[in-house]
Amino acid sequence: MSSGHVQKIKQLPWVLWIRQVQGIILFELRRSLTLRRSPFVYLLALAPLALLSLRLFFPTEQEILDGIGGINVMFAIIFRAFYLRLAVFFGCVGVFMRLFRGDVLEKTLHYYFLTSVRREILVVGKYISGVLLNFIIFGGSVAVAFFLLYLPSGWVTVEEFVFKGPGMGHLFSYVGVTFLACIGYGAVFLLMGLFFRNPIVPASVILGWEYINFLLPPYLKKISVIYYLESLCPVPIPSGPVTILAEPAPFWLAVPGLLGLTLVVLVIAGLKIRQMEISYGEE
Amino acid sequence: MESREIRFENVSKFDGEVLGINRVSLAIRPGITGLVGPNGSGKTTLMNLMTGLLRPTRGKVSVLGLSPYDPEHLFRNVGYCTQFDAFPRGTTGFHFIQSFLRIHGFTGAEATRLTEEALIRVKLTEAADRKIAAYSKGMRQRIKLAQAIAHNPGILILDEPLNGLDPMARAEVIALFRELSADGKHVIISSHILHEVDMISDQVIMINGGYVVAEGEIQDVRSEMPEHPIQVLIRCSDPGRLASRLFQMDHVVEAKIQADQKGLLIRTRDADQFYLRLNEAILETGQDIEAVAPADEDVHSVYQYLIGSNGGSTS
Amino acid sequence: MAVYKHSYRRYEGDLTARWQRLLVLPRYAYRGVFQSRFFLIFFVICLIVPLGAALLIYLRHNIGALDLMNIPDDAILPINATFFEWVIQIQGSFAFLLTVFVGPGLVSPDLVNNALPLYLSRPFSRTEYVVGKMSVLMILQSCVTWVPLCVLFLLQASLAEGNWISANTRILVAILLGSAVWILLLSLLAMAISAWVRWKAIAGALMFGVFLVGAGFGETVSALFNTKWGSLFNISSMMQVIWEWLFFGGASETGETVNRLAAGQVPVWSACLALVVIGLCCLFLLSRRIRAYEVVR
Repeated sequence: MSSGHVQKIKQLPWVLWIRQVQGIILFELRRSLTLRRSPFVYLLALAPLALLSLRLFFPTEQEILDGIGGINVMFAIIFRAFYLRLAVFFGCVGVFMRLFRGDVLEKTLHYYFLTSVRREILVVGKYISGVLLNFIIFGGSVAVAFFLLYLPSGWVTVEEFVFKGPGMGHLFSYVGVTFLACIGYGAVFLLMGLFFRNPIVPASVILGWEYINFLLPPYLKKISVIYYLESLCPVPIPSGPVTILAEPAPFWLAVPGLLGLTLVVLVIAGLKIRQMEISYGEE
Repeated sequence: MESREIRFENVSKFDGEVLGINRVSLAIRPGITGLVGPNGSGKTTLMNLMTGLLRPTRGKVSVLGLSPYDPEHLFRNVGYCTQFDAFPRGTTGFHFIQSFLRIHGFTGAEATRLTEEALIRVKLTEAADRKIAAYSKGMRQRIKLAQAIAHNPGILILDEPLNGLDPMARAEVIALFRELSADGKHVIISSHILHEVDMISDQVIMINGGYVVAEGEIQDVRSEMPEHPIQVLIRCSDPGRLASRLFQMDHVVEAKIQADQKGLLIRTRDADQFYLRLNEAILETGQDIEAVAPADEDVHSVYQYLIGSNGGSTS
Repeated sequence: MAVYKHSYRRYEGDLTARWQRLLVLPRYAYRGVFQSRFFLIFFVICLIVPLGAALLIYLRHNIGALDLMNIPDDAILPINATFFEWVIQIQGSFAFLLTVFVGPGLVSPDLVNNALPLYLSRPFSRTEYVVGKMSVLMILQSCVTWVPLCVLFLLQASLAEGNWISANTRILVAILLGSAVWILLLSLLAMAISAWVRWKAIAGALMFGVFLVGAGFGETVSALFNTKWGSLFNISSMMQVIWEWLFFGGASETGETVNRLAAGQVPVWSACLALVVIGLCCLFLLSRRIRAYEVVR
């Protein structure tokens, strides 16, 4: 990049843009963080916590026999089967598809379009607010679930595993994967909310594709978000009898891959929203 | 040199096969501009094109030299109060205005100050902390107006801004428009209440079936309609004698004596000639004159002539 | 002196019979539903399996045709309870997808556009409104579940020898009862979701969510507590239990008694109870939303 380009980029009104993005995030979070607006997202995040809290009072004998190794696998299964494939997925469907299409439905999108904000900045602001909302809810849920699962084994075990052993690394990995899931699925569903008046059909197709990922041949697995996310999980889980195995994607490919996908999707969303017109009557 | 006009250059907007507006060329100057036309005539389409909420199928729109598709610069100077009667759910009046000011890019303190000022201007300070969902129609109209003026724009576009307001509020809002116009701002108002448009507008744009049928100051528009004789009302002592004298002029086509026998309504094809020779006729017939005034140089009459309905039901 | 012009005359003509009024809702709903080409194609696809099954039944009873095509007798499935259970499961899945497409758009638009006061300010009760809207779904679901299955049953009965009908009456009862339970459950769920979620797309996603997340949550419960009772959160699994019981009773095809709890399934009574609880919850949710006034939030 020439020094002229660098100079031009420096001259852009970054301070204003950051303030505008902050304004969008604050407004969106204030609207969406209420239980009344996102009850199903909260339900998805709180349901496993309720279960794990119950388990504090009714521990099973099996986990005592299995020890820390068994609990590690159990959390890995819960994380992959429930959080990644269901909770974060449906949470992103609910939050990101609504970011623009919900405002069209409520006939309030024009208020954003009538402010002195570049529409691309609006996409970025809304997207970040969606990521934050999902990450606060599901990232928090994953972290609490992690401790709730290990707690019945006794505080000493928790201390040994989490604070002196590899536990903290596992926790950071799981929370990090949750963050990447919010970023990846969020970008995909944001785009769908912009392109489709009724995104349920494309969303069902994506759901089906991500759901049958374990049955897909290795080269097709790579065209999915779940493949890269599962590759980053710290504990492998036993595969089922019909699962087609594939090498997990290396960290250096998985993380930049997901971030790259997000960037591409956001650019497309930015181009789309520049052409968007307000015609609520057609909804 | 920076343009002071809102310009439409041969602009058409079609939605599929449905016509929004067709081949509109306009230059709107500062002052209060009234936009009138029947339902579905294209008034809202015109306003949405000015603000970039719609894109023209053909032609070009510019607002003070800026493109409507450059919101970052445009909306620092433009406020648009739309007809959509919807608000983000769960927000209070204060929070609604302040949040969008922050999205404009104002700091928290600035946004709060501007919100308070806007709320004072529309007299909604007491209800500011109540949820908008519980507002009356008039209050919702005022909060939208407050949101449109909160960032002190130079151009104010208002789609049916007087809807739902009680007479007191109407008078206050009209005074506010006049105040803004006196500051050299553009105020563009669409309204279906023609006498109010007449009262407040410096110029009018009449639109029908997607076509602009007239634009400019109402007297100029009226004078360009030779097919419709000008009406002049003369309040005088003996309208019968004056009528027979005036009928001697070729261009006078009709004279009606008013029911109270104190007034005469004349229709003439040549207003200039008529006014030149009126004094002569008055002196000859020895009239005491109370008033001489044009009777159809108003929006209502022009609307009737050009669009054909009585104007009472347009929007 | 005032002049009163009594020009208003109330309507004094005939009214639609009370029991017919609720049918106005499906009549208009179908106009909208079948305008979608996508839906029409999908609806036709829903009937492919029963057509295939009819062909199988025909071939099973037509040895000449099998010989002509060089297909051995035992290559075709026997037409028994297992066959019908297999078809009802597939058709049940199609009924679910139909519900996902049509159900979310039933109540939410009326709530978003404040249309409920318009309905309920006429001689039309809340119950009639709910039943009318539900009938939109129930008629469509019937077209892909018990109606084609009954046709298949009658086809088999007409082609089979001897007293096939009397020996297999249970299958017919299972088809009718099993379909009724599934249709009622899906309709109630769709209506409740449509009444609480304003946007159709999210309501559709939620319909998937209730089934998939419920199943996932159930599996988590089972894994965490080392129990089978987690299946009670899995609606499809519960329906499977009920269908199996309806088609086979407590016995398998070979007549052995099956201990369902040991086989990994919950008992039938618990599945029925869970479905009743879900239905009651849906009715409660509907009663909270279907009302002739707006609650400002």
